[in-house]
Amino acid sequence: MSADLSIVLLTLRVALAATLVVLPVGVLAAWWLARWRGPGRSLVETMLALPLVLPPTAVGLLLLELLRPAGAIGRLLSGLNLEVLFTWKAAAIASAVMAFPLMVRPVRTAFEEADPRLTSLARSLGDGPIRAFRRIALPLAWRGILAGTVLAFARAVGEFGATILIAGSIPGRTQTLALAIFHRTQIGQDAEALRLVAITVAIAFVALWSTELLRTRRSRRLRGEP
Amino acid sequence: MRLALGVLLALFAPAQPPPPASADRELLVFAAASLTESVQEIAAAFQSRTGTRVTFSFGSSGDLARQIEAGAPADAFLSADTGMMDRIEGKGLVRREDRREFLSNTLVVVVPVDSTTSIGSAGDLAALPKLALADPASVPAGLYAKKWLEDAGVWKQIEPKVVPTLDVRACLAAVASGAMPAGVVYITDAAVSEKVRIAWVVADGPRILYSFAPVAASKRAAAAKAFLEFAGGSEGRAVFERRGFRTLPVSAR
Repeated sequence: MSADLSIVLLTLRVALAATLVVLPVGVLAAWWLARWRGPGRSLVETMLALPLVLPPTAVGLLLLELLRPAGAIGRLLSGLNLEVLFTWKAAAIASAVMAFPLMVRPVRTAFEEADPRLTSLARSLGDGPIRAFRRIALPLAWRGILAGTVLAFARAVGEFGATILIAGSIPGRTQTLALAIFHRTQIGQDAEALRLVAITVAIAFVALWSTELLRTRRSRRLRGEP
Repeated sequence: MRLALGVLLALFAPAQPPPPASADRELLVFAAASLTESVQEIAAAFQSRTGTRVTFSFGSSGDLARQIEAGAPADAFLSADTGMMDRIEGKGLVRREDRREFLSNTLVVVVPVDSTTSIGSAGDLAALPKLALADPASVPAGLYAKKWLEDAGVWKQIEPKVVPTLDVRACLAAVASGAMPAGVVYITDAAVSEKVRIAWVVADGPRILYSFAPVAASKRAAAAKAFLEFAGGSEGRAVFERRGFRTLPVSAR
């Protein structure tokens, strides 16, 4: 039972870290995609959406090439004396990369749907670009940001293919819920695997449900209802 | 908000306080799936003797070797064959003089416990609709099984019927679940499942030799060596033998 608990804590840690990394980067990328009209936009957009359609194992292998000790990023990391591959950090990186497009999509839509004249108005009334973004664009896009964050978190909780390649499936260190379910099924511990499935369903339920509660409460407040 | 922060802090705090880098208090050992019960038992005895905790990552030796090549933080590698160890030794990740090769095993054909299938030779396997094997492309148990069937001259007939599994324990589980009519595993694997029975003991198979070594780059190399010495010592050998392994007199290569 305590093994189950440590699997859950590790999974939450990995998923939260991935979400915290993806949130600011994803919001900025979405903002840029919603505003930028210059050349190369569709190219960048396609690149950013790639993890959505590639097999996770393909993404994992690319990450492994980058992060291995002789790889482009790996050399940098070992220079900093940072151990990343086959640690929980690698699992978080894999989850973050796979979750990134899911964060960007709804946020971009939200930015695009907000009336751009409102931001222009704020600028003309003396707000700087950062202040206008923070006070007008961000609050107007909150629904999209919330949706993106939850999607990214959920994707991170379920990440498997890229994770197993760059983090392995080391019990107590990198074996998250998805990996533990697979491992226990493989070695014939079906009852233990099912228990983890039940836990995963509970986590997903709580995440989605609390988002729904947050959304309705916030909507009511914005409409001025109690 | 404060609650959320507290939860975050709790999650990101290390599960156990990390030991100082120099203290050999916790080892991470990558071990062949077939060793699961025996090395856990040996590790428990080692911990009560020395205070050093050993945690394992079990899998196919092929997968584990690949992970070590990619820089996984393993302190020691317990491979089910010498080929995988040769591979990482070739990359300078373990030292030849540190390798310990004293453990052997026996292949068996297992069938579901209530199955009426009887096997009297390697050739009888060709009559089955399917055969579960630990992936003969990369897993030692599968490589040994393939070698046995090749030597018996029946591999060509059996190859199209092979269902490859992740490691030898996955092969055992596939047979135990009743999904596969038969599989080839080690005699020590067959002993841990009540849902399979041994239909044939492979007497004419290839020589099975495990290879243990500390990983050269480990910061806990001294403790890793001590653990391997313990596993190869009289106490460790007794555990292996009780679980059905065979031990060889020579300890070092």
